[in-house]
Amino acid sequence: MSIGRAFPVFGIAFAVIYIASVYFNLALLTYHPQLVRWGMLVEAPKQGPAMYWYGWLLTSALGAGAIAALSLALPVRPFDRVWSILVWVAPLAMIATIAYILRGYVLR
Amino acid sequence: MFSVLLILHGLAAVALLGALTHQTISVLWPARTRTGSFVSSLRSVPSTTYTNVIVILFVVTAVLGSIIYTEYRLSIRVTLQDYRMHIPEGAFELKEHVAAIALGLLPAYWYYWRPALAKEYATTRAIVTSLLAAIVWYNFLVGHIVNDIRGFGS
Repeated sequence: MSIGRAFPVFGIAFAVIYIASVYFNLALLTYHPQLVRWGMLVEAPKQGPAMYWYGWLLTSALGAGAIAALSLALPVRPFDRVWSILVWVAPLAMIATIAYILRGYVLR
Repeated sequence: MFSVLLILHGLAAVALLGALTHQTISVLWPARTRTGSFVSSLRSVPSTTYTNVIVILFVVTAVLGSIIYTEYRLSIRVTLQDYRMHIPEGAFELKEHVAAIALGLLPAYWYYWRPALAKEYATTRAIVTSLLAAIVWYNFLVGHIVNDIRGFGS
């Protein structure tokens, strides 16, 4: 059994969880750049802006890692074919989703 | 310090852009025979050998970008908002998100470039590589434009 075959699942899950994290703000960490201070989970801005991007990355990495590990329990065939398609369809769909979420910047 | 990191981020991005563009051209438009022309040479680079370097360059570029991103949020984004430059601001928001998605895609990219999977997943490999190349080009151009708006060292 190769751990590598879980990598496509990681990429698929990462893209989906990342966009869900952005939309619902599911950050595991918050960074306050003005204060140079980290906080656990989502914290409101204290002094200057609060940055959630690092937290979204962590949420996505942990979630995708868990899903990728679970996917190793599935049989190689036919799922390898499914992952080989979803591995680019899911990121493309998530990029389209985030572009739609951000449409206000263009339509303002 | 942020200026030095910005320059290093830019240099790493240029190297990444070159490597990924070469690999994408060679995988989408491979040369049947090498004639010695520039275009033929471009199409016939040994694309498999680029993979590990691309992964390393991507991670280095992303790490440097994630460090200088704090300065963007504190100084540059405020300027864009003050001048009501919503499109560049939105373009940069999209850049951070597509960079994250590309980062998550890197292990799969590396996996599909393994020699053992060379023929079986040729289409997936080509699409994933092209997607990464498109993201890197977008991020490079947006980063460059936003940097030009604010002005280096200002």
